[in-house]
Amino acid sequence: MTPILEVEGLVVEMRRHRTVFRAVDGVSFALERGGALAIVGESGCGKSLTLRAIMGLLPNGGRLAAGRVIIDGVTLDTGARGRGHGHGQHRRMSIVFQDPLSALNPVATVGNQIAEAPRHVLGLGRSASRARAVELLRLVGIPDPERRYHAYPHELSGGTRQRVMIAIALSSDPSVLLCDEPTTALDVTIQTQILALLAHLRVERSLSLVFVTHDLGVVSQVAERLAVMYTGRLVETGPTASLLAAPRHPYTSGLLAAALDVDTPEREPLAIPGSLPDPLRLTNGCAFQPRCQFATPECTTTDVRLELVGPDHQAACLHSDVLSAAQAVGHHV
Amino acid sequence: MSKALIEVDDLSVTFRSEHGRSLRAVDDVTLQVAEGEFLGLVGESGCGKTTIAKCIAGRVAPSAGTVRFDGRELGARRTTEDRRAIQMVFQDPYSSLNPRMTVRHVLSELLTVHRLVPRVDIEARCGELMTLVGLPRGALDGLPSQFSGGQRQRIAIARALTVEPRVIIADEPVSALDVSVQATILQLFEQLRSRLGLTVVFISHNLAVVRHLSDRVAVMYLGRIVEEGSREQVFRDPRHPYTAALLASAPRLHQIELVRPMVRGEPPSPIDVPPGCSFHPRCPRSEEICAHDSPRLERIGACAEHLAACHFRDETSPEAVDQP
Repeated sequence: MTPILEVEGLVVEMRRHRTVFRAVDGVSFALERGGALAIVGESGCGKSLTLRAIMGLLPNGGRLAAGRVIIDGVTLDTGARGRGHGHGQHRRMSIVFQDPLSALNPVATVGNQIAEAPRHVLGLGRSASRARAVELLRLVGIPDPERRYHAYPHELSGGTRQRVMIAIALSSDPSVLLCDEPTTALDVTIQTQILALLAHLRVERSLSLVFVTHDLGVVSQVAERLAVMYTGRLVETGPTASLLAAPRHPYTSGLLAAALDVDTPEREPLAIPGSLPDPLRLTNGCAFQPRCQFATPECTTTDVRLELVGPDHQAACLHSDVLSAAQAVGHHV
Repeated sequence: MSKALIEVDDLSVTFRSEHGRSLRAVDDVTLQVAEGEFLGLVGESGCGKTTIAKCIAGRVAPSAGTVRFDGRELGARRTTEDRRAIQMVFQDPYSSLNPRMTVRHVLSELLTVHRLVPRVDIEARCGELMTLVGLPRGALDGLPSQFSGGQRQRIAIARALTVEPRVIIADEPVSALDVSVQATILQLFEQLRSRLGLTVVFISHNLAVVRHLSDRVAVMYLGRIVEEGSREQVFRDPRHPYTAALLASAPRLHQIELVRPMVRGEPPSPIDVPPGCSFHPRCPRSEEICAHDSPRLERIGACAEHLAACHFRDETSPEAVDQP
């Protein structure tokens, strides 16, 4: 079966002052029909830009320098910068942003915002698109949808606004939903509700998901595949469970060791030494090497690429076997 | 429990909203913090945890109730001594530092104004403070923009420590930081506490962080403390359904199954607090009594230090609710 979404060699160049740097550097992945992929990384690693590049919504100063996006076998016209893809193309995928309050139109009722795509993209009539908006409000779990149709974004709570954002994203009947930290601005009890809603929609609507987050604690709940990103590149990809249980890139294992877990309070979190490199001053070789405990002189010169390290599991590290040996003898790395 | 250093009694804070309605951010809260203790204050956005912190630090005046420090009541206008004794560290180290002042300027100004060390020793003291928070001496010449988020938070902590406080109130100090640097700041808090004997009130929505650091934990919902106890009491045996829901919803690294939501809906607006127990409209355990009778924060069984504000506090934790 062909994947629903294929991303090949995506390169995004960002201009900062007078210099240009690669904020996303050769990202490739494929998403199975009905599958879900989580992309994890720290601030500035390029995870959100990757989503925006796929959607054709790069911010000012950003340019898609290379790469292809193929959805359902059709290669998207990625030439149109900053305005999203053309009609017919953007129907196939939608995006949900982190902060619904700034993504929603403050002077339009939520109902009209949801009805917009059915009316203008799907070409439904006024009453049909309205009925569809009400149905979508119900689908995303908003009680009393007929009344809420007339609400403005400011009248709603954060969780309900995010549900509205999801309803808008679903209004053009997409097959892929891109989620950019959709629960980061929400409280944990609301986060579980939104994650449950997304899981429900995956089944109900056979949606495929790309879920970007900085929180390793939510990835295993939302996606069966995981990609870890560092300074614009994917450094490890694979099935979520095996990747979290036995990471093969030192950055992934570092992130896991640095995270606190509510169930094991006695474990001391270990910070990754150093800090994120300046994207303008990236050198040859592995970008993580200055912070890596396994680094050798080769790491500074070799251009590391993702390579198969296990069944369906790839890592971009010259020493990925050292890491797996360390885990085998029970070292905590 | 050893002697209480901070005693908050029947504290309420009411803000006026634009339309003349009043918002009770803190509702009749009583809380003690013992000398040398690490208290975690937990709750979701808008529950009033920051407002309590600001009341203790003297940045917000209470509408009712008192704050006592070391046995003395702190009035609305505090003496310099009292203000020095309780210092705050904020969430966002990008906005809480003056972008035009070098670190040396920030620290030496405080040392001079408060006459903490003789003029000739200022430079040496600045260096000591840098060492204390784990920054190189050379960092004194930098401006905030030259540092990473974690380093800025260290600078903010050094600033708080300059005036030799007895209490640090940290308001979500690691929430704006990346995971890989959070751990270093948490370790710094632990070191400072053991080295300087500081009392810490640590506000966070992150239960994993609170469980890792705190001796005692207080959980807030809509302006009230709904559960309080030692770390192990609260995390191992939560007796308020809200605490249980928070704990179940906390992100977990190896959680493969989807978490079933424990509570319905969202917190109501603090302007329209529901009658009775304010949690009852969302509570999986609620019964008729909850709708009109507001439970007080009371001890569980014979346990003097584990308190919960729930009519069913003597029963065990509730089950998840089904919800799409």
